[in-house]
Amino acid sequence: MSSPRPLDHNPLAEGLIDFKVRDPSLMVIFGATGDLSGRKLLPAIYNLMKQRLLPAGFAVVGAAIDDLDDAGFRKHASDVVTKFSRTQPLDPQVLQAFLQSLFYVRVDFSKLEDFRSLERKVEELDRTRHLGGNRVYYCATPPPTYETIVEQLRDGGLTKSKGFHRIVIEKPFGSDLTSARELTQILQRVFHEDSVFRIDHYLGKETVQNILAFRFANAIFEPVWNANLIDSVQITAAEEIGVELRGGYYEKAGALRDIVQNHALQLVALVAMEPPTSFEATAVRDEKVKVLRAIRPIQDGEVATSTVRGQYKKGWVLGEEVVGYREEHAVSPGSLTETFAGIRMFVDNWRWSGVPFYIRVGKRMPKRVTEIHIRFKRPPHNTFASARDLDPNAITLRIQPEEGISLRFGAKVPSAGLRLRNVSMDFTYMSSFLVETPEAYERLLLDCMIGDPTLFTRADEVEAAWTFIDPIEAAWRDDRPPLASYPSGTWGPPEADKLVQADGREWHRP
Amino acid sequence: MAQTVTSVPVPDIAWHGEAVTIGDVLGALSGIRRKFAHAEAGEDEHPRARNCVMTLVAVATNSADEARAQHASVAIAAHHPHMAIIVCEEVSVREGRIDATIATHPLSPSSTVHAECEVVGLHVQGAAGEHLAALVDPLLLSGVPVYLWWLDSPPFGTRELLDATRICDALVVDSARFDRPYQSFLGLADLALSAHNHLGVADFQWARLEPWREAVAEFFEPKDRRDYMKGIAEVGVDYVGDARGNRIAASLLVGWLASALGWKVKRAVGGKGGVLVAHFELEGGRQLEVAFRSVPKTDLAQGEVSAIRISGASAGRTFQLTVQRDPERHHRLTSDVGPSELKYRHRAGGDDDAGLEVALRTATRDHEVLQRNRETLTHMATGDLPGDEQRHSSTVLPRERRRGENHVLLTMIDIGGAETLRHVQQVDIEDEATLLLKLLSTGANDTVYTRSLTAAAELMRAL
Repeated sequence: MSSPRPLDHNPLAEGLIDFKVRDPSLMVIFGATGDLSGRKLLPAIYNLMKQRLLPAGFAVVGAAIDDLDDAGFRKHASDVVTKFSRTQPLDPQVLQAFLQSLFYVRVDFSKLEDFRSLERKVEELDRTRHLGGNRVYYCATPPPTYETIVEQLRDGGLTKSKGFHRIVIEKPFGSDLTSARELTQILQRVFHEDSVFRIDHYLGKETVQNILAFRFANAIFEPVWNANLIDSVQITAAEEIGVELRGGYYEKAGALRDIVQNHALQLVALVAMEPPTSFEATAVRDEKVKVLRAIRPIQDGEVATSTVRGQYKKGWVLGEEVVGYREEHAVSPGSLTETFAGIRMFVDNWRWSGVPFYIRVGKRMPKRVTEIHIRFKRPPHNTFASARDLDPNAITLRIQPEEGISLRFGAKVPSAGLRLRNVSMDFTYMSSFLVETPEAYERLLLDCMIGDPTLFTRADEVEAAWTFIDPIEAAWRDDRPPLASYPSGTWGPPEADKLVQADGREWHRP
Repeated sequence: MAQTVTSVPVPDIAWHGEAVTIGDVLGALSGIRRKFAHAEAGEDEHPRARNCVMTLVAVATNSADEARAQHASVAIAAHHPHMAIIVCEEVSVREGRIDATIATHPLSPSSTVHAECEVVGLHVQGAAGEHLAALVDPLLLSGVPVYLWWLDSPPFGTRELLDATRICDALVVDSARFDRPYQSFLGLADLALSAHNHLGVADFQWARLEPWREAVAEFFEPKDRRDYMKGIAEVGVDYVGDARGNRIAASLLVGWLASALGWKVKRAVGGKGGVLVAHFELEGGRQLEVAFRSVPKTDLAQGEVSAIRISGASAGRTFQLTVQRDPERHHRLTSDVGPSELKYRHRAGGDDDAGLEVALRTATRDHEVLQRNRETLTHMATGDLPGDEQRHSSTVLPRERRRGENHVLLTMIDIGGAETLRHVQQVDIEDEATLLLKLLSTGANDTVYTRSLTAAAELMRAL
């Protein structure tokens, strides 16, 4: 007699707003005692548990070189969660339950025997906690370790249990097209592409996801979302902080690789993509990659006129005097690494023909802000004399902080005469929705456990982005254009202003 | 997750008037809004738009409820600009008169959102109080959703309530506070079925059950456990109370299970010690017993669910899920405290103390005697003692709902006789403002609630 077919869906889960749990699983965090794990992952898991979003039996196994046992790892986890959790004060009962779900295995990534020990521990937990062999391996380690970890997982028998096996890696996904392809090959030797989760935490932000909802769930915006009515698109991703303790990493990366290649181009893709057939991973990612492939390559001879590279000098940020980049920890005194990147680019397709996309990203700018500013064309005929001073209509999508959307338009000033001025309609997430916005890592960790890769970057997206970035990077290494400098606390070098002024435009003030 | 509301600053009274008309109130509101806009704008700036995410119309019949509504409104205002209209009815007073106040409350200074909260208080004496819709409608803001919060039992079946629901997007109640739980609950179910299509019906009681629903749904979520749903054999629900009590929460929880899993209630029988057993028919004619038991608990409010046990077998493997609120005593195995065969005869009992007690009671009850005793069945169904006068008092006191503590849900999972997996989760004790936010964040149109409510009403009628 054949066994009955399992129910396709769980009728008891219907209507539960926060019900995100799926199959119980176990997460192994490589580099569990490191900075990323301490600042982001462990606090995110604690908060997921606090929101009752983790399934019964869920366990975390920390794997790192430090000589710890379960108790030592729990002590470490307690310390970092106390320090970095977004919800304070901590709930002692949740913290207790969280700590009891943590285990530790000392792992030297180069030793296969350590991975076999890890497998024994994982297998034991799997049996006693009814986890169904489901495993998520999170590489919270530097990219050079990925290859070793992946191979040891395979050789140590950690990818053979009956459930799912997923691997999560952090950016950078390679340092150029060649290395990105190599990384993909390494991962795909052991994991299917559907099981590879490349985290770009920007995509976990609610407002980034809302770009798609704004565009495709409303009938009034999409008809004007094209070159017929849009004049230009500006994307600003500014940070007020410097490189802090990441000088060593940043020296090799720079703003172009650190932010433009991933975060900024992902935002371009979301703003410019065609409507997907559904909000399903393959459909969304297919449309995104089409945009990335449609970005017009910047030819070697155009890099100097279409891009700006800058580096911050000492200055004042948020009322404090700060040092210049070259005085930062682990930064070469003669460094030519850019901390600011400005780019003018075009998406060569029917919808966006001739519309410039301006990107500026940088550190030590006046404040932390990420915005997409869609500027519309002026009306074809000027009916009102005073409308000459009126700014064109604009939609600003604020990613962070104060997530929201603004629409700018002209209105008559109440008076006897006919004077117009700009007014804005503001939508803010904070006040318009009666719910808290979850932290990006919480959302992404959950999606990973559920197996929904929509908000993760696919291999072909990564490769398309590097295809655009590599020629710029090559010219910049050749000092074209020359490295400009800007005082900390400003919106970048004057050359960035000239980049848009050359087209008769100005940067939007965030 | 809904925001937890904590700080409650006192709003400023911006205007008050005695024996006024709604036109006076409107005029005063316009003046206040104009002043706010001018004060907010800088010299060279134009005033920004006022933000308002909803209008909350709260109906109270006494000053204590009025204070509750004010408290909730001001607490919500810390995060969400809105307008609240709090109507305190004194319909028994013959003389018709409206006294009104308008309080304003700017958002916290740290906020960059340019908005404020307005709380309009209307003290209505006489017949005007019976025409709620006509009173409130002129004050509503265009295009902003309106939520009608009735703080005690709404007058189900009356013209007043029907008219009031026509001007709102959702009716919010707390069925734990119904004066006459049985009748009011059935009235609520009827309203949910008969009201206009766009009316949402929301119940604080339903929001309080969310952690229970999550814990149960989660157990059946893994694909290899989905078939367990078809193998459920027994369910036991404990709720707080003495022999009688408010069984609404327990019925809603079982109604949710029944409506999701296609169970049809057939009959109910009472047993000793307040145990009541409802018999359901499942697909294929299989029978299922659900035992309701009231348990005394000093630390929980009357009527609150304190435990649920679900057991059964599928494909030759037994399973038992126990979700328990605030376990007070140390875990003891059934074999330590009673005959081990009870554990197998009455699986819904579980390994905890409460479970063993259910098993013992189930084992000793006499079905035949009680089935013949219709009066006792009425007692079980309504909570009223045979021949006793009905008490019309709220079963949940305000102070019981506002302890400001966190509680835990302990989930115990037994599958195929393997070691019991214990999982502890936090449950926030949520005040009314937080519960309102939680309900309203979904727009209060919850089809799962509506169908669970219908099934629970069917169950209560059968009891």
